[in-house]
Amino acid sequence: MAKVNKLDLALDEYKGGKSTLCPGCGHDAISSVIMKAAWENSITPDGIAKMSGIGCSSKTPAYFLRQSHGFNTAHGRMPSVTTGANMANKDLNFLAVSGDGDTASIGIGQFIHAIRRNLNMLYIVENNGVYGLTKGQYSATAEEGSQKRKSVPNELKQIDLCAMAINLGCSFVARSFSGSRKQLTALIRAGMSHRGMAVIDVISPCVTFNNNEESYKSLQYVKNNNEELHGLDYIPHFNPIEEVEIPSGGYKEVKLHDGSYLRLETISEEHDVGDRMMALDAIHNADVKDKHVTGLLYFQEGIPTLDETENLVDTPLAELSEDMLRPSKETLDDLLTGFRA
Amino acid sequence: MEKIVNDFTINIATANGTGSQSANLILLNALFRMGTHASGKNLFPSNIAGLPTWYIVRVSDYGYQAPGDNTHIQVVMNIDTWSEDIEKLAPGTVLIHNTDVKAPVNRDDLIVYPVPMTSMARKINPKLSKMVANMIYVGIMAEMLEIPQDILEEAISKQFGGKEKAIEINSQASISGREYFKSELEKKDHFYVEKREKDENRFLIDGNEAVALGCIYGGINMLSWYPITPSSSLAEGIDKYIPKLRLDKDGKSTCAVIQAEDELAAVGMVLGAGWAGARGMTCTSGPGISLMSELIGLAYYAEIPSVIWDVTRVGPSTGLPTRTQQGDISMLYEASHGDTQHIVLIPGNVDECFEFGWKAFDYAEKYQTMVFGFTDLDLGMNLWASNGFEYPDKPMNRGKVLRTQEELEKIENYGRYRDVDGDGIPYRTLPGSGLEPIVSRGTGRDEDGVYSEKASVYRTNMDRLKKKIEGSRTDLPQPVFREEEEQDLGIIYYGSMENTIQEIDDILESTGMKVSQCRVRALPLSPEVDEFVRRHKKIIVLEVNRDGQMYGILRKEIATELVPKLYSVAFSDGLPPKAVEYAEAIIGTLESFEI
Repeated sequence: MAKVNKLDLALDEYKGGKSTLCPGCGHDAISSVIMKAAWENSITPDGIAKMSGIGCSSKTPAYFLRQSHGFNTAHGRMPSVTTGANMANKDLNFLAVSGDGDTASIGIGQFIHAIRRNLNMLYIVENNGVYGLTKGQYSATAEEGSQKRKSVPNELKQIDLCAMAINLGCSFVARSFSGSRKQLTALIRAGMSHRGMAVIDVISPCVTFNNNEESYKSLQYVKNNNEELHGLDYIPHFNPIEEVEIPSGGYKEVKLHDGSYLRLETISEEHDVGDRMMALDAIHNADVKDKHVTGLLYFQEGIPTLDETENLVDTPLAELSEDMLRPSKETLDDLLTGFRA
Repeated sequence: MEKIVNDFTINIATANGTGSQSANLILLNALFRMGTHASGKNLFPSNIAGLPTWYIVRVSDYGYQAPGDNTHIQVVMNIDTWSEDIEKLAPGTVLIHNTDVKAPVNRDDLIVYPVPMTSMARKINPKLSKMVANMIYVGIMAEMLEIPQDILEEAISKQFGGKEKAIEINSQASISGREYFKSELEKKDHFYVEKREKDENRFLIDGNEAVALGCIYGGINMLSWYPITPSSSLAEGIDKYIPKLRLDKDGKSTCAVIQAEDELAAVGMVLGAGWAGARGMTCTSGPGISLMSELIGLAYYAEIPSVIWDVTRVGPSTGLPTRTQQGDISMLYEASHGDTQHIVLIPGNVDECFEFGWKAFDYAEKYQTMVFGFTDLDLGMNLWASNGFEYPDKPMNRGKVLRTQEELEKIENYGRYRDVDGDGIPYRTLPGSGLEPIVSRGTGRDEDGVYSEKASVYRTNMDRLKKKIEGSRTDLPQPVFREEEEQDLGIIYYGSMENTIQEIDDILESTGMKVSQCRVRALPLSPEVDEFVRRHKKIIVLEVNRDGQMYGILRKEIATELVPKLYSVAFSDGLPPKAVEYAEAIIGTLESFEI
């Protein structure tokens, strides 16, 4: 018998269609972590809405969670479509996948405004520094001096999505790497437990166009230059004791909205996830050394989400009956009487 | 000379931002209260303060609502347009001018009433003299036209709704104007207003507010919008009525309102809401539609119920943002790349604005597609007379949504894009239900919603989409006909031209023509339009744009043998259509083709 989660579901129930991405693509590793994270967190697949834009990364919702509805929208427009769907049904669990072209270029405005509104969603950027589906053009997250296959070095400065999200007051900002399965799993599980906008920028090497040694986003380069802020363990609210061992060294715990914890184990020096300047410093310090800093960069609990600021009724709007939606005839008669006065 | 009663046009020239709008609305409202058929058109600049603006009031016992082709009474307050406004007046026109502007009147063939409006206003309230001066000309005209003071007072109270101080100042100013006319001027003109029996059902409202109320009663769940003239007041109207009409007993809202970062996001939110099973809408104008076009195609192809109201202004590009045009109709009908075709609802008056406001959501959910409402600045932002809005006569149509396992099981061979019923409209399930989930997408997919690039699959799907929209032709608001026995000449028109058509018809009839009319109220066209064309010898397609956009749609859609019957009369200068201009254009067109 296959192992089951708290909902009596096997991991298979969280799988999707066969991937059509290039063999070895970082995105497939992330998809596999998403399935595992949703399964381990015992999230009802029915309640998840998979959202994406356009690009290699945005194709992946077809490759996981086949029991969840999904919407593969248009290039750069996933955040706005998610906003509307969120207003229609605030009980949906929004799991969004985007890429660096989708988020840092064509959709940068919508990304910014989704953060500004604190949409209650998990926003995963599968970041490889190139446009894959159109055959390898640089994207806006490619570092200055980084060089993709058969090309000249990239001349422009990168847009750092995490730094931008932190500056905008995003309540959960993390960076990870498709090759760091343990760290990524903990972060995605935590992102799923967070209420509000969780942005996880995952460096996800493009094995076809950007995996040569001159590239700052190649598998080997990231392995060699990954500066982890802390070790990470996710402790689910339904099983607080059994799942992880208590670390021998120093650690801190971040309590998440659903009662779960993310345990941050100190590696060299302690990173305070509640300190915005420290988070920006960490990004800057890694950047000047051409390194990638990974881990939970910034976290703040308790910022109102859009569905809260909109003061919506408790029932999802999509489920309201006609008597809640259409005011009575008497109200119209009253209005008309006023107009005629 | 005989009295001229209830048959004249007033043109009031002021500067934007001087408070003239409330004075003009008081005048219009007083005329309306007297039971006359009065209409008002605001010609305003793209500016907050300083640029010239004109307000045109038409009073007509014939019921004509278009701005008159000729001005009979001219009020001039604005130095910048002073000489131009005066120069173009026909001999015998009444000229009421503010002498405090200290500009010359070099005409001796006009009936001139000079009034020191600013000084008079200063005596009433020195701080607000610039604004109060506008009520002086209202008082002058009230005395001159014999509008009773008690009716004017009612209009003032209505305008300032309970603000005692404002009511007092404006009332004083109107009386001061009245007294000045009595003591200092002698009536030399022949224009009078007389009371008519007032239909107590009638009231004045603009189309944007009427659509807004229609949406509220249509169960709108989410409004996303980006400010753009002339549609902003539609969004603000919805926002205004939510606290009164759409909160539950705990004060929580059943409709979200989001001011989007741009139109691309506004339409994205509409698709998201529709996809998740709620009633989402945005409103915009032409430039916004251009930006939204990509996702309009996605709504069509992924079959997402969506509603957009386009309150059209003059294009292309920024165009004349505060002027009116029927310039977007062909764009709306086929907006977005590839083969698309959208339902467009075209109200021709404020009552239909309300009706189509709620119906748009029913059509969108029934057909699982993009539905446009099409109005323009003239209908959207000017006050039109309403006969009263009809409460929706049928329950909301939520379309083919399967909400439970039992409902799903009743459908044989369910597939998200399978034509189970033969009407081209598939069934759908909603996110969160866990029922037959798919990844909705803009890419090719088969009947089960699975990605596919197969030629036959693509073609079958596109044919089904066509069939689905075709099915709406007889279901959408059908055309309104006014037919003559002769059936020689017919006019096909739509939207805000409704305000001018009766007068055009009377002018043509005065030349001996008998003209039938067909007002199109939706796209795709009803088969009844075909029949109308078939019944008549020749057809004029009348519209407010340069290229004859509806004419183009008709040429494409009606039976080929009927096409030679069609003649286009179309032009646009940014102003609401005037009757004589369009009637002359019709006659000119018929003459040029020697028909």
